[in-house]
Amino acid sequence: MATEFNILLIDDEVDFLETTCKRLIRRGYDVKTALTCAEGLTIIESGWPDIVVLDVMLPDRDGMDFLREIKAKWSTLPVVLLTGHASMQAGLQGLDCGASDYCLKPIDLETLVEKLAIAYRESRQQGA
Amino acid sequence: MTSLVDLFTSLFRSKPRLKPAELQTAFRSHYKEFRSLLTANNNALELMAEMEQVLGAGRSFGMAFIRGNCTALTVNIYKMIRHLSKLSDGRYGALDQSFRDITRQLELVIASPPVTTEGAVILSMAEVDAGMVDQVGEKMANLGEVRNRVGLRTPDGFVITAAAGRHFTQANDLEVEINRRLKGLDFDNMEELYTVSAGIQALIVNAPLPKDLEEAILAHHQQVVTDKDSELLVALRSSALGEDSSNVSFAGQYRTQLNVSREFVGQAYKEIMAGKYKSQVIVYRQQRGYRHQDVHMCVGCLHMVDAVVSGVLYSRAPDDPRSRFVMIQAAPGLASHVVDGSGATEQFMVSRTPPYALLDFQSGVGQADGGVDSLPTLTALQTAELAEVGVRLEEHFGTPQDVEWSIDKAGLLYILQSRPLGRPAAEELSEPKGHGIREDDLPSPLLVGGVCASRGVACGKVFNVRSSLDLLRFPKGAVLVVETPYPDWASLLDRASAVISETGQMAAHLATVAREFGIPAIFGMNQALTTLGNYRLITVDATAGKVYDGRVESLLALALPKPNLMVGSPVYKILVAAMEYITPLTLTDPASPFFKPDSCQTLHDLTRYCHEKAVVEMFKFGERYGFDDKAAKQLVVDAPSQWWVIDLDDGFSSDFDPESRYVDLGHIVSVPMLAIWQGMTAFPWAGPPPVSLRGFGSIIFQSTRNPGLDPGVRSTMAAKNYFLISKNFCNLSVRLGYHFALVEANLGEYLTENYVNFQFKGGAADENRRLLRIRLISDILNEFGFRVEQKADSMTARIEKKPGSFLLERLKILGYLIIHTRQIDMVMGDEGMIAQYRQKITADLHILLDNAEMEG
Repeated sequence: MATEFNILLIDDEVDFLETTCKRLIRRGYDVKTALTCAEGLTIIESGWPDIVVLDVMLPDRDGMDFLREIKAKWSTLPVVLLTGHASMQAGLQGLDCGASDYCLKPIDLETLVEKLAIAYRESRQQGA
Repeated sequence: MTSLVDLFTSLFRSKPRLKPAELQTAFRSHYKEFRSLLTANNNALELMAEMEQVLGAGRSFGMAFIRGNCTALTVNIYKMIRHLSKLSDGRYGALDQSFRDITRQLELVIASPPVTTEGAVILSMAEVDAGMVDQVGEKMANLGEVRNRVGLRTPDGFVITAAAGRHFTQANDLEVEINRRLKGLDFDNMEELYTVSAGIQALIVNAPLPKDLEEAILAHHQQVVTDKDSELLVALRSSALGEDSSNVSFAGQYRTQLNVSREFVGQAYKEIMAGKYKSQVIVYRQQRGYRHQDVHMCVGCLHMVDAVVSGVLYSRAPDDPRSRFVMIQAAPGLASHVVDGSGATEQFMVSRTPPYALLDFQSGVGQADGGVDSLPTLTALQTAELAEVGVRLEEHFGTPQDVEWSIDKAGLLYILQSRPLGRPAAEELSEPKGHGIREDDLPSPLLVGGVCASRGVACGKVFNVRSSLDLLRFPKGAVLVVETPYPDWASLLDRASAVISETGQMAAHLATVAREFGIPAIFGMNQALTTLGNYRLITVDATAGKVYDGRVESLLALALPKPNLMVGSPVYKILVAAMEYITPLTLTDPASPFFKPDSCQTLHDLTRYCHEKAVVEMFKFGERYGFDDKAAKQLVVDAPSQWWVIDLDDGFSSDFDPESRYVDLGHIVSVPMLAIWQGMTAFPWAGPPPVSLRGFGSIIFQSTRNPGLDPGVRSTMAAKNYFLISKNFCNLSVRLGYHFALVEANLGEYLTENYVNFQFKGGAADENRRLLRIRLISDILNEFGFRVEQKADSMTARIEKKPGSFLLERLKILGYLIIHTRQIDMVMGDEGMIAQYRQKITADLHILLDNAEMEG
């Protein structure tokens, strides 16, 4: 399994963030976390992440709106949306705004890792 | 498939050519889109299969499942449409409109509004009848009917209606917060379930009653007590919408508050409202397919009957609706002792016809020590009166009834509740009592006795439950062993394989729920806790009232399938309605003029269309960018058929000469293609089967009707056999003999990308023989783990998300079947031949796979 990319997790659910972060690190990934869009933006601006996992509902900002900003500034940075609120409209809107994928919680780690790896690979291919 | 064949031909027309390097780059970029499209297709098909499976399997699911799967499905199909658009430089734009139309319809189905409640906040029992279910809930509507239409005595009182409940929740803005807490709840995590349930209940109990509602309740309370003693106490009984309808009992799951004085009526009302979110009720709703917003809690406020004796009567025996007697369970005091399973009762069997003679009497039913003989608590006159009431209620409601009753000091009979008797499954009705296995053929039982609270046989490990803490630890599939069958244990019934209780009888609520779930249960079984201990593997034969050590296979073979509890529930209906826009496949023939975007009526149609066109686009690449006529290489093999190979990306070894018109197997590095080829060539083809005159006649007849079947006639079906390959991908179109087959496989880096898809169609014999061949192939593929769908004389078989080694073996099987099922449709009229072929094929395949294992 490739572990060559850095993952940024942005989610306001502390428990989810901590557990997922720990488990991804155990898999050999480098992971940073952010509880708000503002925190997330600082990390993205540093150029550190290779992929972003973004919750749609965040306290400081609408996730979809934040997604648009990310894709406007860093068009090749893949963003995978991960949410607990299933909505067909939001899913399609997410893809229209440039998300690589739209996933639903709860998600098992195996599936998440695969989805991230595929999203990362696809972004590299487009960039190439 | 015709369109593909036309494209093969067009490959070889002269085109302006790109330089090899440019061609390679352009092609790779297309190929990546193609691969991503295949992954999305794979995900979409798997999601659809899961939804279909859940409908048939009787597994419980909620709106979260429907919403989640529909979202994931539309996301994947939208991805397919976008990938196809990139592959085709923006063609197929019309797909967008079809997609939007279908998803809009789907959203309307999923967002179907909850049941609304209108009308007065309080209704007197004198005003209520069965037609007012939507206002007062089923329990109170039935009780009103008993009082006002049947003319039987029921306690005075009133109902706080569904409209009142809505007023209360809206005034406190409870709905949004409750929804938030329930969303994403993991029903298998009992600890989380308890925490969320307790939190929601506290939220409700602590919310203030709106002033006007509180005043209305107290004013009606005043009216009820006017004619009575001023100290009169009331009982508050839950009456939910959806509760007590046939086959959905919610038995004993909600709260009842007894002996409530005036000052506590408001609080008791809120506690019953909160009971809608007790953990076992949340689980029960999930299991039975009810959305919590569709279940409205109404509350009956009835004067307490000063009961001398109470109980339950069944107008017919609960486990045998054909029985010719009324069964009465009675105990001194309140009826609650009978239905919560905590007390011993007396049981009376009474004739259903005047003069309602007592047929049988038993005391101490459900008591751990068997009870002592005592005088019956009911006189012959009383049992006759109860039997007559039972028969009258059954006649009035048109179905056997389960009735709660009390007799007061003055000897007056009150009906507290009447509901349809949960019916045993149809199979049980036709099954004779007893299993017909001779005692001598069974081991000697560990325990014998008790009453059969729910029929059936099951096996599992013993797990004692004594407290709520034990509930959290209860393992799936265990046998629930308890001292008393409290209704609270009902939340375990979707995890338990059987129930044994030292006390209780068949009137207990837990027995009703066990019957509903089709879980065997023995109640009143002495010494169960001490004899069985904990964790021991046992077989429970509830029908015979026996418990055996270990697994008793001969008994388990008789176990009945569990009923599908979801059928007919609101959530089930929503999924059925949603599926109309999801799974039906109307676009089947790519050659049809109707195979176009605006003919897509379902999400399945969209996947079918996108997949077909994506494959076409991969060929069209050659047409648009100038594939030269050397792109298709003829495979150099010692075989009578001609095989052509087109390399999409990295399917040939690096030392292969691109100028060559031929390729040998040594230069092919496509893993899936090599596996298919290995299957094709592992055994020599025995040649066409010896055909009977009739079978041959059938082919001649079919050939005259369908010139496409005659190899001598140039038709779209008579095309060459193509492998379209890359290192990890293979799409094979085969026309062998008279049938058409397609195999497509991808072995990706990740399981999500892995799949094998097989389509098989046609044949030369008449329809019946072709169908028999398809069935033979389907059976074999099923045996090897494929998910098979059969429609007329065509079939598709799929496996996805399995490891590469597993899929390679399946590809060998497909390779074998493509070659060895040639023309055998001709002999499919002969049972002996079918069996012979089935045997040979199965034997060959096992040799093929065993060899592969040894090589591995």
